[in-house]
Amino acid sequence: MMETSVIIGKVDEFLIEEFEVEAEDISADANLKETLDLDSLDYVDLVVAIEATFGVKLIGDDFVGIETFRDFYKLIEHKVNNTQAA
Amino acid sequence: MKYALVTGGSRGIGRAIAIKLAKELEYPVLINYQSNDVAANETKKIIEDLGGSCTLLKFDVANIESTHKTLDTWISDNPDAIIEVVVNNAGITRDGLFMWMKPEDWHNVLNISLHGFYNVTNYLIQKMLTNRYGRIINVVSVSGVKGTPGQVNYSAAKGAMVAATKALAQEVAKRKITVNAVAPGFINTDMTAEMNEKELKRLIPVNRFGEAEEVADLVSFLASKKASYITGEVININGGIYS
Repeated sequence: MMETSVIIGKVDEFLIEEFEVEAEDISADANLKETLDLDSLDYVDLVVAIEATFGVKLIGDDFVGIETFRDFYKLIEHKVNNTQAA
Repeated sequence: MKYALVTGGSRGIGRAIAIKLAKELEYPVLINYQSNDVAANETKKIIEDLGGSCTLLKFDVANIESTHKTLDTWISDNPDAIIEVVVNNAGITRDGLFMWMKPEDWHNVLNISLHGFYNVTNYLIQKMLTNRYGRIINVVSVSGVKGTPGQVNYSAAKGAMVAATKALAQEVAKRKITVNAVAPGFINTDMTAEMNEKELKRLIPVNRFGEAEEVADLVSFLASKKASYITGEVININGGIYS
C-alpha cells in the first residue's frame, strides 16, 4: 500500500514540473482541468506522467467524473494500490 | 532515433514510398508486410544498397493482436525509438458488383484498409502526441473520393479513411502532427497489372498510368518538414481523371 500523502506528494511534484503550475495553485478542492489548463490532448501527457511515476496505466474512461485534485489523487491511489494488490 | 513505418511496404506503391523515405528523408524505415517474404526482402535490399536502413515487420494489420504484439516486441527492443512517420498503405481489392458481393470480400477489404489504419495508428499515436511531432499519411484512392462501380467495398474503405484523415487531423494538429491522404488513380503496380492500359488511358487526361515513384514523391513531401502547414488534406494524384 502506498500512503495517500506519498501519492499526493508525487502527483504534485510532476504537475508542478511538467504542467508548469504553481504549487500554491494546487489544492484538494481546486478544479484539475481549469488549474492545469488542460485541453483534451494534454490528458495524454497526464497519462504518460502517471505511468512513468507510478507504473499504472490510465485510460480515458478513468477521467470521467474527475473534477478536483482530490478526485484525481483518489483515482491514482485506487489504481496504484489495486495494481499492487493484484 | 526517429523512424518511418510503411504498411504494405513490400511492393508496389508501398515499396516506392519506403525507398523514397529512406533515400530522400533519410529515415530508417520499418516495412510492414503480410506474406510476401521475397518481395519484402527485395525491398529491404534495395534500401540497404542505397545506404539506408530497413527492418521488416511481418504482421497482418487487420489483426489487432498480431499488430500490437509485433509492435510491442519491436518497441521493447528499441526503447528510445520514435516512429514519427506512419504511412498507412496496406490494402487489397476484391472487386465485383455489389449485388453479388460476398461478405468476406466486403469485410476483408475494410479490415485491411480501414481497420488496419486504426490498429496501427491508434497504437502509435500516443507516443507521437507526447513527442509533439508526427506525420500520418493515408494512401487512399480515387475510388474513395469519387466512388468506383465494381469497387463498392474498396470505395467504402478508402472513403472512410478520407473522413478519418480529416477528423484526426483536427484532433492532433496542435501537437504538430499532420494527417493527410493521397488518392492515386491508375498507377502501374501489381494491382493494375491486369488492366488494359491502352484502353483505359483514353480516360486519363495525362494519357498514361502513373508510376509508383510519382506517388512516393508526393508522400515524401507530405512526410517532410516542408509540409508542416498542410493537414487534413486529400491530395489527388490521378493524371486529371478526377479533382
